[in-house]
Amino acid sequence: MTKQIDTFSSNSLKVLDKSLEEFMDRYIYNLFWAKKEKRAQLGQKFHSLICFYLKGFDIKKLEDVLDDNERQTWNNLKKILEDKKENFIQTEYSFLTKEALNNSFYCLTGRFDAIYKKEDEYIIYDWKTLNLPKNPKDDLQSIVYLYCFSRIQKSEKIKLRYLSIEKLNYIDVEFSDSKTYKKRIDEIVLKYYNAKKEA
Amino acid sequence: MLINANSNSKRSEILLEEYLNLLKKGVDCKDILVLVQNSKKKQDFIEQIKEKSPIGNIGSIKVYSFSGLIYNYILENWVIIENTIKSDIGRKISPNLCGLEVSQYIFKQCIKEVDFKGYNSKTSLLHQLLRRNSLINFNNLSKEEVDKRTKILNESYSEEIQSAINKYKIKTIEKRAFDYIRQINLFELLYKKTKNPFSFVFIDDADEITPAVYAYLKAIKSTVKKFFIGYDSLGSSRLGYLGAINIDFEEFLNEKAIKLNDESQKTKNAQKILNFIRNNEQIELDNIKTKSFLKRNEMVEKVIYDIKSLLKNGIKPSEICVVTPINDEFIKSLFEQSNLKFNFLNKSEKLNQNKLVGYLLELLKIINDTNNEDISPYVLKGIFIELLNSKPQEAIKTIQEYHLERDFKGSNIFDFIKNKNIENFQKLVEIYENIRFEKLSFQLLNIVENFIELDREQQKDIIKINQLLKQIYDFEEIFQDSITNKEIITQLENTIISENPLSDDEIDNDSIVVSSAQKIIDYSHKTKYQFLLDCSSSLWIKQDIGPLYNAWVMQKSWSKETFELEDNIELTKDKTARILYKLYLLSDNITLYSSVYDSLGLENFSGIDKYFKYKNETTKAQIKAITPRQDQKEVLNYKGNLMSVSATAGSGKTTIMLLLVEKIISGEILDNIEPKNIFVLTFMESAARNFKERIKAKYPNLEELPNISTIHGLALRIIKENNNYSKLNLDFDFEIIDEIKRSAIINEIIYSLGISQDKASLYDSAISAYKNELCAFGEFECKNSVFLNVFNLYNNKLKEQNLIDYDDLLLLSLKLLKENEDVRQYYQNLAKIIIEDEAQDSSFTQQNLIMLLGGKYKNIIRCGDINQAITSTFTNSDVKGFREFIKSSKNVVMDRCQRCATGVLDCANGIVEYAKNKKADAFSNLIMKPVEGVNIVDKYAVRKEVFEDEKEEQDFIIKKIKELIQEDKDRTFAILTRSNYAISKWDKLLCDNSIKSYKNSDNLINNPVYRICLLILEYISNPFDVKIPKVIAQELFELGKYPFSTVKYANELKTPLFLDDNFDEQFLWDMNYFLYKNCTSIYDLVYQISSYYFSKTPQSVNIPLVATIAQKIYTGQKTFEATVKKLREVQYKNNFSNIKFFQSEDDSKKNSSVQIMTLHKSKGDEFDYVFIPELTQDNLCLDTKKYTLKENSKFNEKVKKHPKTDEELKKDIIEENYRLIYVGITRAKKKLFLTSAINYKIFSKVKKFEVSEILKEVYNDKTN
Repeated sequence: MTKQIDTFSSNSLKVLDKSLEEFMDRYIYNLFWAKKEKRAQLGQKFHSLICFYLKGFDIKKLEDVLDDNERQTWNNLKKILEDKKENFIQTEYSFLTKEALNNSFYCLTGRFDAIYKKEDEYIIYDWKTLNLPKNPKDDLQSIVYLYCFSRIQKSEKIKLRYLSIEKLNYIDVEFSDSKTYKKRIDEIVLKYYNAKKEA
Repeated sequence: MLINANSNSKRSEILLEEYLNLLKKGVDCKDILVLVQNSKKKQDFIEQIKEKSPIGNIGSIKVYSFSGLIYNYILENWVIIENTIKSDIGRKISPNLCGLEVSQYIFKQCIKEVDFKGYNSKTSLLHQLLRRNSLINFNNLSKEEVDKRTKILNESYSEEIQSAINKYKIKTIEKRAFDYIRQINLFELLYKKTKNPFSFVFIDDADEITPAVYAYLKAIKSTVKKFFIGYDSLGSSRLGYLGAINIDFEEFLNEKAIKLNDESQKTKNAQKILNFIRNNEQIELDNIKTKSFLKRNEMVEKVIYDIKSLLKNGIKPSEICVVTPINDEFIKSLFEQSNLKFNFLNKSEKLNQNKLVGYLLELLKIINDTNNEDISPYVLKGIFIELLNSKPQEAIKTIQEYHLERDFKGSNIFDFIKNKNIENFQKLVEIYENIRFEKLSFQLLNIVENFIELDREQQKDIIKINQLLKQIYDFEEIFQDSITNKEIITQLENTIISENPLSDDEIDNDSIVVSSAQKIIDYSHKTKYQFLLDCSSSLWIKQDIGPLYNAWVMQKSWSKETFELEDNIELTKDKTARILYKLYLLSDNITLYSSVYDSLGLENFSGIDKYFKYKNETTKAQIKAITPRQDQKEVLNYKGNLMSVSATAGSGKTTIMLLLVEKIISGEILDNIEPKNIFVLTFMESAARNFKERIKAKYPNLEELPNISTIHGLALRIIKENNNYSKLNLDFDFEIIDEIKRSAIINEIIYSLGISQDKASLYDSAISAYKNELCAFGEFECKNSVFLNVFNLYNNKLKEQNLIDYDDLLLLSLKLLKENEDVRQYYQNLAKIIIEDEAQDSSFTQQNLIMLLGGKYKNIIRCGDINQAITSTFTNSDVKGFREFIKSSKNVVMDRCQRCATGVLDCANGIVEYAKNKKADAFSNLIMKPVEGVNIVDKYAVRKEVFEDEKEEQDFIIKKIKELIQEDKDRTFAILTRSNYAISKWDKLLCDNSIKSYKNSDNLINNPVYRICLLILEYISNPFDVKIPKVIAQELFELGKYPFSTVKYANELKTPLFLDDNFDEQFLWDMNYFLYKNCTSIYDLVYQISSYYFSKTPQSVNIPLVATIAQKIYTGQKTFEATVKKLREVQYKNNFSNIKFFQSEDDSKKNSSVQIMTLHKSKGDEFDYVFIPELTQDNLCLDTKKYTLKENSKFNEKVKKHPKTDEELKKDIIEENYRLIYVGITRAKKKLFLTSAINYKIFSKVKKFEVSEILKEVYNDKTN
């Protein structure tokens, strides 16, 4: 039987940070109801559309699917993306990194919605259909994304941009310090490790 | 890089190393495609990358299962497909990559739009179409390729099929709904239009890839820098229906494959297995053991015992696995009772088989059905207890009140429980008001969020409920408003889909895996010990052919212009060899377990056990040797050719036949003969079982018994074996209609034609007679148009439901043998010797079949006694055929009867003489002779009495029985009646006189498992009835399950049992346990009840049979209550759906009681004292002049080419009466009582009767 290495996403870390029990229920025992939220469906729709658009596909026929409101939103968004289209080097990019902690390992995983590169600066785009984070700097998504991206690109000129698809406003979080990020992530992971040890 | 090595090698590790090397060299992992066989292997590969990679960025890993690659490819490039679709209707930003349930629903709609003229089996058409569609897609077949195969297979309904598939394709495009099979079509379109993003491609288990994946590899080949392929050129276990193909990878990559570890003993042995099976040789290896049993429960119990022994010796559960093609309730229940932890990897389980899912669907059904008149109280109880956490007593009381009120006022269940002051009821009503007009998924979510705890204990249920939600979302998303909630529920309830590839089972580390062979292979699940179960079952060898699909010809690589039986045999064998080869590589020690019978008591055949040599030599158990008599010896001197054995009653025929079979097995009679070359055909199923048990007792280690079955059993085997059914346009899961269903169909037809219902039985037997006429006279067509109409409608009904009847069984097997040279040769080569018992009862068709089967070696022995032919007037048996066979063969006569007292023999011989004097051609000239020193010498062994009235006759018999019970302690009694009706009458009479009686009939209710289960189900169905527990208590007391105090307790009950509070009474606990047990499957419930009372008893073998009967009835009746009612209705039938109970020899009740049975049923039995009462002229007429023909008898003649005249018919009936009484007489060992009265009460009026000729003398003496 293949040994499994503990693997965390920013979402699972958020839950673990909040409550070990909740994390165990949600991510170890898969105890949740598979809801299909309307907002999430809308997000999915726009994610796919943006992805096809940035990849350079002809999406006219897909645009026909949108209702009036959605089309309005999409047209506005498209205007922003249009100018920068060339600079998007990746879309829907999944990542996996391996991290050491107390003579053991864990992995971090996730998916960047899109990567924008201008000269030697990178912007990780995250399309939001829900509200933008209130404390973006401390948000675990920011921490995990910036940390992992710095590992991938070995660069510190990175920022994470949360962009509201509907309102088109955004918040940027600049990369600060790898060690602090790692420490914060380790602290959370340790919560789980300690619980496992006790068990 | 190409590695040709098996799973026992380091092949996968090397591939992983190569992958990591590429990463080390700086290749981005998003440029490397890794393809593995399934998602479990995908997960394993990813975990190993994580494990072996250095700290830091690993990257964007692209590891996919074969189907996962296609799924992701479509999602990422969907826009290309959308742009190729011309119509603007149904445009989607993302496609609906749905489960197979949706396809099933779409296909169902398509079938409605196509008129299937040639193939109209309603039950399997959908299955057939789905399978054909899968094969076409897996193999990437173009229209031309399909057309070519249609010609090879000579398919007559290809247009209809194609039309349905085309409609399906159009509909899936309209709905943008693609299951994993349909996705294959899109994939091909996509990769041709996109740039290959991968520079390196890794494939493990490449021998299992499908043509569609291979086509992809060929398409991207020129753009790939390097391939790394691991395969096993001897592998491809998924050949056939699962779609794998054999690929020459050396040619594909134009490089030589690296071969690993070819020298290991394991590899050599595995290859030996592969080659031996291919060459039909038997394998003998040190690490393979074989064990064979008679019954399936004995086999499973031994497996559990063996597993426990291993665990005791320190072997871990994860080091053991059980492999079986039949992962059914029977195995599950026995394993679960063992207290060991098993992990069933069972993909064939449908979602709605989960208890919570089942009750949720039921609740949703009620919510969405405003007119909920049909709510089953049993289901409601389950919903209340399982979902709403009601207290059981409270639930039952509420349901009772509701039903009373509903019957009175017709109120809705929600209106009713609204007024109950119970929290969860109130909550449900509140939710109901909020969700009743909402979408199904919304309704379900609301219910589960409010009533089901997200509890770790319920993890498996929650996963299942989420799968249900996912399926509902699929339907809602795809069909939007064009599907109603009710339609979705109906679809989910009736799903035939049990396997979607995207969900995979988890393997626990601390339990024993129970799985199919394919899954063990797919998962490369390595263990120290592999227990292979049911090795004698043909289900081990997967059959890949049906009327509308043929997995072999549908293979992309099929190049032959024809498809013969031999092709199928060879290809199927090759696949089996590959499976066993791969299985062997995954374990260090293998034990094969097989049983003669399956869990329904049907004989297993064509399993994999034949490929393995049993270590122990055929040793004989120490059983007393029998010295044959002179007249018996001649039978044993048989040296081949045709032989007839005329054996009188009590001549020891069965014993001699057994000895004969033993001699044949030991090779003393014919050379080069194996048990499989011996065919023994009995008239009754019980005789076959008995024969087998006796052979098995003599040769406990004989792994392969001779073929011992009824002629119908043999015919069934001929039709089923090697996919022969497909030559008859039958689907593999065709069933044989039982008498209950048959009479229901006939009744329905004649009702629809306005024919009187009381004619049903006439038509029933005429249909059978006509079928035999068809066989005998070929082109003959009956002139009676009304009958013909009934006949055709009946046959069409059977076809629609994928059924055949018993006559078809013989006719179709005969047809197969006659019309297919390959099939004929196969069986003729096999049947080196055929022995038929009760040959006098053989029908024309049956005799034809036997002669054809034995046509090559012509070693045919037919045993019988013309004097005991008692079935010809109501079956199609043809005693003339046996008479002719006697003339044309060497005839051996066994005329010594060692059973009967001399007086009884004289009486029987006297009947023969009497018939001769009366010029009745009833008997052969065989006169029975006693065996000196064996038969009781008693001139006065027969007593004939005629009484004035019925009461006197009865008193005489009762008095005699009582006397004899006192005189002779160790004895057996029988009362033989003319009709079934009389059995119950005599049973009551004996009971009233405190004489223990036993109704010896094959009635279902006669079986204790059936009886007890039915009673307890009736209690569950009606817990307020105080009488039922009394009967249950009495019955279970008699079976020794409870003390007499329980009977007393039950008899004194004043309130319904479940409301009683005498908690010291075990009976109350037990009954409440079953009452409060909620099972969505009636099989489970019946199984649990019967296991509780009958496991570890000789009756345990009947547990799965009773459970299956209940399940089959439930399938037709749909509700628990109707099922219970039906179980009671059919109690006097002797089988249900052809399931016949095992008779328990040690049934003490039977031996210590007076057995009551019909004269017909008594054949083959013997008793010390025999009473044959009520011998009136009406019951036993021996004079044609006094006999009046019944309509019933004449009707059959109307459908015959050469109908008998009334006089001929009368003669036949009278002659059979002679033989019937002859059979009755010859049952008696010590004393025989032949009696009659002159006056009998008929419907409360006394009527005078003439006594039968057999008592005429006594009557005359009396009256003179």
